[in-house]
Amino acid sequence: MPSISPFIIYILRKGLFIVATFFAFLLVIFALPRAIPGNPVAALLAQIFQQAQANPDTVKAVYRKFMEEFGLYKPIHEQLFDFLSRLMAGDLGTSIAFYPRKVADLVASYLPWTLGLLIPAILVAWALGNLLGAWAAYRRRTRVDNALLPVFLVLSQVPYYWLAMILLYTLAVTARVFPVAGAYPPAMQPSFTPAFILAMLHHYTLPFLSIVIVAIGGWAIGMRVLVIYELRSDYVEYSELLGLSDKKILGYVFRNSILPQITGLALSMGTVMGGALITELVFSYPGTGYLLFRALSTLDYPLIQGTFIILVSTLLAANLIVDILYAYIDPRIRVSYVGD
Amino acid sequence: MSEPLLLGLGLRASYVLRLGEVRAVDGVDIEVPRDAVVGLAGESGCGKSTLVNVLLANVRPPLRVKSGKILLDGVDLLQMSREEVRKKIWGVKVSYVPQSALNALNPTKRIIELVKDAITQHTPATDQEVVSLCKRRLEELNLPTDSIHKYPHELSGGMRQRVIIAISTLLNPRLLVVDEPTSALDVSTQKQVLKMMLDMKRNRIIDSILFVTHELPVLRQVASHVYIMYAGKIVEYGPADYIFYSPLHPYTKALMYSVMTPEPESRERGLVTIPGEPPSLIIPPQGCRFHPRCPYVMDICRNSEPRLVPISEERGVACFLHHSEVAS
Repeated sequence: MPSISPFIIYILRKGLFIVATFFAFLLVIFALPRAIPGNPVAALLAQIFQQAQANPDTVKAVYRKFMEEFGLYKPIHEQLFDFLSRLMAGDLGTSIAFYPRKVADLVASYLPWTLGLLIPAILVAWALGNLLGAWAAYRRRTRVDNALLPVFLVLSQVPYYWLAMILLYTLAVTARVFPVAGAYPPAMQPSFTPAFILAMLHHYTLPFLSIVIVAIGGWAIGMRVLVIYELRSDYVEYSELLGLSDKKILGYVFRNSILPQITGLALSMGTVMGGALITELVFSYPGTGYLLFRALSTLDYPLIQGTFIILVSTLLAANLIVDILYAYIDPRIRVSYVGD
Repeated sequence: MSEPLLLGLGLRASYVLRLGEVRAVDGVDIEVPRDAVVGLAGESGCGKSTLVNVLLANVRPPLRVKSGKILLDGVDLLQMSREEVRKKIWGVKVSYVPQSALNALNPTKRIIELVKDAITQHTPATDQEVVSLCKRRLEELNLPTDSIHKYPHELSGGMRQRVIIAISTLLNPRLLVVDEPTSALDVSTQKQVLKMMLDMKRNRIIDSILFVTHELPVLRQVASHVYIMYAGKIVEYGPADYIFYSPLHPYTKALMYSVMTPEPESRERGLVTIPGEPPSLIIPPQGCRFHPRCPYVMDICRNSEPRLVPISEERGVACFLHHSEVAS
């Protein structure tokens, strides 16, 4: 096959794998919420009619109307078919708990807050953790490493929700330096004015720190070991005796050590979603974690499915990007999978 | 007699560990003359690689130099700071080719990138000047010039070894130190590597070679002088022909008998192994360090340690068998 570049084949193969994974995931996310005992419509009506009195016939009529509207009377395979065919058309369905809002609109309005919170927090923690870990490794068996390592170990084991609550209690509730809840003051309308951005950053600080501080520890421990291992390589000794400066050699070592950390970064982009769920709850931050929590507690099938589809798509996309990045960074992988 | 290129005097160096002190180099004098190939031979674990690091002034904890001098052109390297040695000595006056060429190059950099990083530490050359310097040298040594634009894993083992030797000596250092440069190579590749090093010496790219190995047959082909090291000490030294054809120290003899040589006696004798194992360098045997394995052991060997005594102008041996001859 001289006409098709090996790189295209590599990407196609990875892409095919991702598509297959995505379809397997769709089945799981369709089945799992329906395995939870309970009925979303009953839950919603119970909530509504707690406040407003109504006669039982009306309630029954409304119930039947909703069940038909969401296709919940249909046999399960027909529901699956509906779900998939709507998805193909790009329709994530209508939320039950937030009726009549569309799932796509809901996710679209909550997603920016989560991305805005998580992506900078993960990247900052990753960068700081790797730099600190590499520094500790370089200064191994000195006071720097002896002081840093226990800090990394403790940080990596701190439960993030515990740190979030401690920060909230000390800096927001007691000291009143930061606001207690929300992404911006309730009295303000989102806009691009300096006043709003300042207020937003003020609300942003605590959730951001609670994620960054905990994540630094894990990254630093990993990087420290990788760099210590790499510093023992033969090429480090040879480069030294060619007269290269420590700075240059550290550059080599850092680049070669960071490869596994890049994989870790991509994976954490996905797994930290769970962490953000609790962080968002603690700080009442209006992100997808908060939305997912609402969806799960009301058994809102379409909303659960929609939120997860967005999250998993992001994760799979991140994986694909890492595969491509890896081939770009490491010439050995480029040769073995891609050709030069 | 002219001043030697490199002179190590009274060198003692240890690894200071919690278990104890490993005296890997224990009172070594060694001389590399100008225009010479000096072989340093001994079993694994006898301290040759440590001696090499000390001679290069590449000393980092846990390795410590306890005493001694290393005079390169009369200047003591041990009096210089590591930074000074790095800038003015390594790759400039003394170059080193490591044991495992397979892993000696950064796997994620093209070779030319490493060369640029190295050369610009020592000279103000531009990148382009480095590239053309590098290409000219490879041509001179009959190596493919495009190899420097490749990644290390794209070259064969033998080619990688030769390219490493070529890039280590771009600045025409006076001394090339090679540590087991041919151990991982097949015989025909070994020959090419050896020939290339000797060509470089003939073309005055380098003056002298310090060749560290456990493979005596290889040393036979190239060395003009040989030092035999055992348990942190030099036990015999002298011109290569003497060492190979009339070894004096029982350990040197044992080393010779343990490999095939072209002489007919070798065939009759067969291969003889040295009984026992190399001794611990933390608690070396009392007396002569070789006495537990020596077939000629005498009472005196168990109690006192033989000094390295010159028995002619160029030759010395540390063995009571030969000291008595000198004394009588």
